[in-house]
Amino acid sequence: MRRIGIITLAALAFLGLSALAEGNIKAGFIYVGPIGDYGWSFAHNEAREMLDQEFDWLETVYVESVPEGEVETFLDQLVAQGCNVVFATSFGFMDGTLAAALRHPDVIFAHCAGFKRAPNMASYMADFYQVYYLNGLMAGALTKTGKIGYVGAFPIPEVKRHINAFTIGAREVNPNAEVHVKWIYEWFNPAAAKEAAEALIAEGCDVFAFTEDSPTVVQVAAEHGLPSFGHYSPMYDFAPDYVVSGQLVHWEAIYRDFLKKIHDGVYTTQNLQHVDYWWLLSQGAVEVGAKPGMMINPVFEDALKAYVVDHPVFGKISVYDLVKTRYNQMADPGVTFDPFQGPVYDRKGNLVIPEGMWPSVDTLITLEWAVEGVAGPWPGEPEE
Amino acid sequence: MDWQSWLIGIVGRALAFGTPLLWGTLGEIYAERAGVVNLGVEGMMVLGAFSAFAVAQSTGHPGLGILVAAVVGGIAALIHAFLTVTLRANQYVSGLALTMFGLGLAGLLGRGWEGIPLRQPLPSVTVPGLSKIPLLGPMLFEDQSILTYTGLILAVVLWLLLYRTRWGIVVRSVGESPATADALGVNVFLIRYLCVIFGGVFAGVAGGFLSVEYRPAWTEGMTAGMGWIVIALTIFAAWDPLQAIWGALFFGALYHLSYRLQAWLPPELLKLMPYAFAILVLAIAGLSGRKRGAPGALGVPYTRGEK
Repeated sequence: MRRIGIITLAALAFLGLSALAEGNIKAGFIYVGPIGDYGWSFAHNEAREMLDQEFDWLETVYVESVPEGEVETFLDQLVAQGCNVVFATSFGFMDGTLAAALRHPDVIFAHCAGFKRAPNMASYMADFYQVYYLNGLMAGALTKTGKIGYVGAFPIPEVKRHINAFTIGAREVNPNAEVHVKWIYEWFNPAAAKEAAEALIAEGCDVFAFTEDSPTVVQVAAEHGLPSFGHYSPMYDFAPDYVVSGQLVHWEAIYRDFLKKIHDGVYTTQNLQHVDYWWLLSQGAVEVGAKPGMMINPVFEDALKAYVVDHPVFGKISVYDLVKTRYNQMADPGVTFDPFQGPVYDRKGNLVIPEGMWPSVDTLITLEWAVEGVAGPWPGEPEE
Repeated sequence: MDWQSWLIGIVGRALAFGTPLLWGTLGEIYAERAGVVNLGVEGMMVLGAFSAFAVAQSTGHPGLGILVAAVVGGIAALIHAFLTVTLRANQYVSGLALTMFGLGLAGLLGRGWEGIPLRQPLPSVTVPGLSKIPLLGPMLFEDQSILTYTGLILAVVLWLLLYRTRWGIVVRSVGESPATADALGVNVFLIRYLCVIFGGVFAGVAGGFLSVEYRPAWTEGMTAGMGWIVIALTIFAAWDPLQAIWGALFFGALYHLSYRLQAWLPPELLKLMPYAFAILVLAIAGLSGRKRGAPGALGVPYTRGEK
């Protein structure tokens, strides 16, 4: 597929389709995976298509399956093709994008999931940790064995942050719950995800969440009649009786804001040094649910309403109401709650976030520890 | 944890994960036995996976999906046969090209088929009676695929065919010494064509199994490297259909264990265990001096009249 992409790009560049009407934006998108992955690249591409329809002053092009080491060539080609805004949508594209931004000072670049910026290069990310926490609340109420299974992609800060938030949620309503983790060391591998889920089931786990770019875990859990949480794309249809909720992304929220501000002249090639989108629930960049508009699958409403806990803040409250309350605390513009609100202890007993404190973005994106309640291997876990 | 649940898990999962590996390996064994390496297994598998899903989803018949996957795999293999047998192209290059072509084409055609659950997956079978046997029942006869059992039966049949029939001698002679076979009146080109296509049919079924039963959905690149494991298993099995059974099951068991044992051993180590094992086997095969049954003319295009 990449080859076709290259040929198309070369042809377009050759034709010199670079004459843009005044004020119009031609945005190029670079994806690390195929747009058919039904995960990361798929979601970015959905957002691109949506905005391409929405703004008549916007024209978009994309290249998919770009190897991380070769991103500069593709960035240069997009610029040669007349793009005045370029989005590089993988952490591994960071250094290549920075180099290209320095080489093309008259073009605006934006890099996803990283932390390096320049006057003409912004960074952006839509993060799920609040959503995972809310999913964790539901998982803690639904487990009967007290063992929740989690299939993790790679033991990196992003995934660890999500598992921790999920575990904090589960134990808030079920102090004995444990989240058992298996690592598959792939972002996308249905067979690995299936076998990891089967292993968790054999060990007694009865509710599932995961980080992997396919609906495999949802399907495997449903085959065994067990509930699960969808990840990234709408996975409700894969098991309408078993998907409780999940994490959904809305990249278009970030792209819309960023492109509009460029169009309005707010963002230029001179002032992006400190533009870092770290968008969460309150900005609408992420959503709780297994499909848009459905936060909790109605099949599970009764069970969650019947599960009442004695909460230190809210007193007697059902998990159903607790999810809604916590959601409002995080989704309303003045955010009043963070899942990692201190005190947070790691599973070795160290205080990692002090009483009353909220974690900084830096803390979150470099997080390596595991909270109490996480069971299983944790490569890179800090000693003491 | 009780040993019975471990045993049931290991054997049961080895059979499930081993099924596509077994089908793929049986096909590749026949292609290579006739002297043609086909590195396009991954491509043929993924084309099979997509076509099986598309057909099963549109018609509601998963069995028909598997059938079409077999045909599509065969057609894909035909390209390889034409390039390597008729045009005498380099088999390795042609195979790699077939893999890339298959992944690309399936990805392109598959646009719009992602994110849809298959409405009617191939049902798994529980053998009545036998599944009630303690231990053996849940291990071997519960929730397995019909393709698992047919794969095992076919392995035996293909072994008999290869080693106990005249036809098998013909296939092996074409892979060992095509010139001699030719001199004896064997149609080398025809045999090679048939074996390569046969390999493609089996790879297609393996892919179809993945998308209509094992994980009933389509996602681009969903074979995720299984085709390459098939190539390694073909060598591991020493081009012997019966040994392919053990290879596929053993690999399946290791794969399952690489997740079960994560609580005790570092996951990084476990992740590479099945592959480290494959390398070890190749090393032992190399050191043992003999080529462990590698067909003599493997990878060499045949030209009439040359020595």
